Amino acid sequence: MLDLSPDKPEAAYGRLRASTLPGLLAQRAMASGGAPAHRAKKLGIYKERSWAWLAGEVAALARGLRELGLKPGGRVAIMGDPCEEWVIADYAVQAAGGISFGIYPTASPGEVAYQLAHSGARLFIAENQEYVDKVLPLLADLPDVSHVIVADTTAMFIYDDARILALDDVIAGGRASGDTSPDALAAMAAALSPDDTAFIVYTSGTTGHPKGAVVGHGRHLAAAFNLVAHYPQMARKGQRTVVNLPQCHVLGRDAAITVPLLTDMVPHYGDSIEDFPNTCFEVAPTVLFTVPRYLQKFASQILVGIENTSALKRAVYDLALARGRAALARLWEGRAPGPACRLLRFAAFRPMLSQLGLDRLELVLCGGSALPRETMALWHIFGVNVCEMYGQTETAGGIIAGQRGPFPQPGSVGTAPAGWAFDFGDKDEIRVTKGDLFDGYWRDDKESAAAFDEAGRLLTGDVGRLSGGQLAIIDRARDFIVTAGGKTLSPTTIENALKASSYISEVIAFGDNRKYVSALIELDQDTVAEWARSNNVAQGGFTALTRDPAVIALIEGEIARANSQLARVEQVKKFMILPKILDPEEEGEPVTPTRKVKRSLMYERFRDLVEGMYDKSEEERIAGKLGEVF
Amino acid sequence: MARASGYLKTGYGQQLVLVETRMQWMLLALLAAALLALPLFASFFLLDLAGQIFLAVIGAVALMLLTGIAGQVSLGHAGLLAAGALVTGILTQEAGAPFWITLPAATIAGALLGLLFGLPSLRLKGLYLGISTLALHFIVVFLGQEYETIRGFSTGISVHPPRIFGWELYDPAAWYYVLLAFDVVVVLFALNLLRSRTGRAWRAVHERDVVAEALGVSVFRAKLSAFVISSALTALAGAVFSYYRGFVSVEAFSLFVTIQYVAMVIIGGLGSILGAILGAIFVTMFPYAIEAALETTGLAAALAGYVFAINYALFGLVMLAFLLFEPDGLAGIWRRLRDYFFLWPFRKTPLAGGE
Repeated sequence: MLDLSPDKPEAAYGRLRASTLPGLLAQRAMASGGAPAHRAKKLGIYKERSWAWLAGEVAALARGLRELGLKPGGRVAIMGDPCEEWVIADYAVQAAGGISFGIYPTASPGEVAYQLAHSGARLFIAENQEYVDKVLPLLADLPDVSHVIVADTTAMFIYDDARILALDDVIAGGRASGDTSPDALAAMAAALSPDDTAFIVYTSGTTGHPKGAVVGHGRHLAAAFNLVAHYPQMARKGQRTVVNLPQCHVLGRDAAITVPLLTDMVPHYGDSIEDFPNTCFEVAPTVLFTVPRYLQKFASQILVGIENTSALKRAVYDLALARGRAALARLWEGRAPGPACRLLRFAAFRPMLSQLGLDRLELVLCGGSALPRETMALWHIFGVNVCEMYGQTETAGGIIAGQRGPFPQPGSVGTAPAGWAFDFGDKDEIRVTKGDLFDGYWRDDKESAAAFDEAGRLLTGDVGRLSGGQLAIIDRARDFIVTAGGKTLSPTTIENALKASSYISEVIAFGDNRKYVSALIELDQDTVAEWARSNNVAQGGFTALTRDPAVIALIEGEIARANSQLARVEQVKKFMILPKILDPEEEGEPVTPTRKVKRSLMYERFRDLVEGMYDKSEEERIAGKLGEVF
Repeated sequence: MARASGYLKTGYGQQLVLVETRMQWMLLALLAAALLALPLFASFFLLDLAGQIFLAVIGAVALMLLTGIAGQVSLGHAGLLAAGALVTGILTQEAGAPFWITLPAATIAGALLGLLFGLPSLRLKGLYLGISTLALHFIVVFLGQEYETIRGFSTGISVHPPRIFGWELYDPAAWYYVLLAFDVVVVLFALNLLRSRTGRAWRAVHERDVVAEALGVSVFRAKLSAFVISSALTALAGAVFSYYRGFVSVEAFSLFVTIQYVAMVIIGGLGSILGAILGAIFVTMFPYAIEAALETTGLAAALAGYVFAINYALFGLVMLAFLLFEPDGLAGIWRRLRDYFFLWPFRKTPLAGGE
């Protein structure tokens, strides 16, 4: 087994650059075969899977995939929610010499077709029947895809298609065809070069078609290790995590596959991703990789629960919250909270977190998009060590910067990990000057070349600055709003101020070349419905709710509160509530599968609503039109 | 569901554990320590009261299985207790049988009576079933009286203390531990039974026997097994009672005893073994509590002649109050109290599945 001490990161980076993912898996199986690789909930119990078991499954599936005609360098798509089969398939494709890539479970059919065609995939591995249904109608136009392999064959008996195979059968076939011991896996991995491509990650692409970032074995391992080097507590024994991010996302891949391979952290898979809160409760994770949306969702769930609780309980909670808020500055300076604050935390927040399974969290790493400062501060008051980090698909699984904590002050994304460095280029664009990066975009030389400058630095396209030695992200370069008054504003700042409300799930701010800033609001269906219930607001479906005067007044209040924290020019003067929930699975919907908003598409789709916020007579016309639509 | 986070199960065996969380273990250890240490401090009076409670728990758990879980009304409970006691008394007197013969014999007699008087349950429901089980009471009491009269035991059949290897079970503290052990075994038996196929079948029959039948539960077997197991346990309680008291008299098993046991399961909370225990404690201690209240308020002397009447009246009122205001009984109150603290600071669980 490699010596991967987080204290000597440079040495570990070097060793990892010369390794491959299946090679390391084989080493783990030989060195500590009995230790748990992960636990997956099947029929009510968490099955413990050892490294030896995982290596055996991977070796067998790799043999099976080869028998299906997978050649070195051949691409295989994997689509599904986080599950152990995803991991087995991913390793197996790589062990067989292929290149794996994940498709977002919520991708629309058009997007699935694009990625399969663009990558030239030979095989499609589906978690269950849902994804088979998604891909089958597309296969007529995709002659390269020879087989669809299904992991969960429930409800598959109605399909009669020679191209559909069961994952278990492919594994069994592979097992029958030869040796599947860790030695055999090591032999397969020995045929790979650390410079070979391990996988492609399609970036969610808020503009145009997604681009496929190509990542090599050695560089991915070394890059992902910068997380371990930056957060050495992850390498401690006994850490456990719950897998909740899609594994096709590079952060999800780190959390479920690579970091567990590099440390003793044990990932846990629940019954289904919808069951994530319950899985959390059962597992009580110590480390969690997450995105802002989950933290917001959990927080608003807590807040709604507190709003509906009895007076005494709420009084204790309010007292603890007030004391916690007063102690925040102290906490962010790195000093332990006082005894009164700790006692209140124990009395109010500890049991609260325990009921969500979040009481043993030592480290919550939040990335993917900007975390609203209020949300982060709230979690800090609760006593959960939330740290924000910043990375890109192009950094191959590593982070560009991360707050080390514990309890870092919100508003920055921290410092670069050991062995990594960044600087600022034209218009304060962040450039990665040192680190293990991706190998360019799949079949796109123009974009690949544009990703780096002449000195080989990665151009992130994000604008940032240093404040107090910490990196602060301002915004995506192309997303800035320049008002008619000539002021340059960051829409993310405005949107995050509004998103701190638990009733608002998504905000898109407009204001480019206009007199003032306006915003489209997507309601948080759960919390608003709950609010409507407890305030006796009649409920006639979601659309009716978005047009209810009481709800509009509620949102008005939330916006007024957010405005008080914004500069005068940043304040949202007008808003409109979207009459529906944005659904990425719908074709042409202006959100990516990760629910990032496609700004330009958003405007096109809801042009009438946006224009209405700037022209009174127009608004009346549209109101009449909408009346016909709904 | 677990009451605390982080108790994931990696095998089906773990789903069978009765005590799961560290908190539960700690509370259980505290309770066990308190129960084991009690005889070191308690007076004879308290030990006797504890003994009565322990005996009542066996009978109450038995009735809870039949009425609270399987939903079969029975008014023959005192009759079954009497049957167990009589079998013990008769075997001791006529054959000089030791306890290791009388206890199984009483249990078997109870099981047979349960089988016999459970048969009407296959046809009758509710009040009609209750009346038919009342027959059991009168038949047993009649036979007991006949035996006592014929053999000349009109003041009661005396039963010698049980002997184990020449050691006589006589000391109140020793009785305390024996009865405590009995209770632990009976409660564990009942709790495990409820999680077995039989217990689940009983609950299904309770909810709706026609649906249970449609789901593949043999209603015939479920109803009869409920009567047999409950009656066997009750008769066993009667046998132990006769040893504890040292004599058997049919007079002791009046219809009021049946009412007391029905009160235990209702006040305790139908459907819960904990309810049976709480109900047994409540009902057994009730008259003593009233007496103590009269003493402390100084009304005892003035109301000396009416103590029994006051007792009965208040008992009736308490029953009424529970039926009207707390149909879930003491177990329901306990559950609410527990949830209040377990869900702190929420009112209901924040997990989506638990709403």
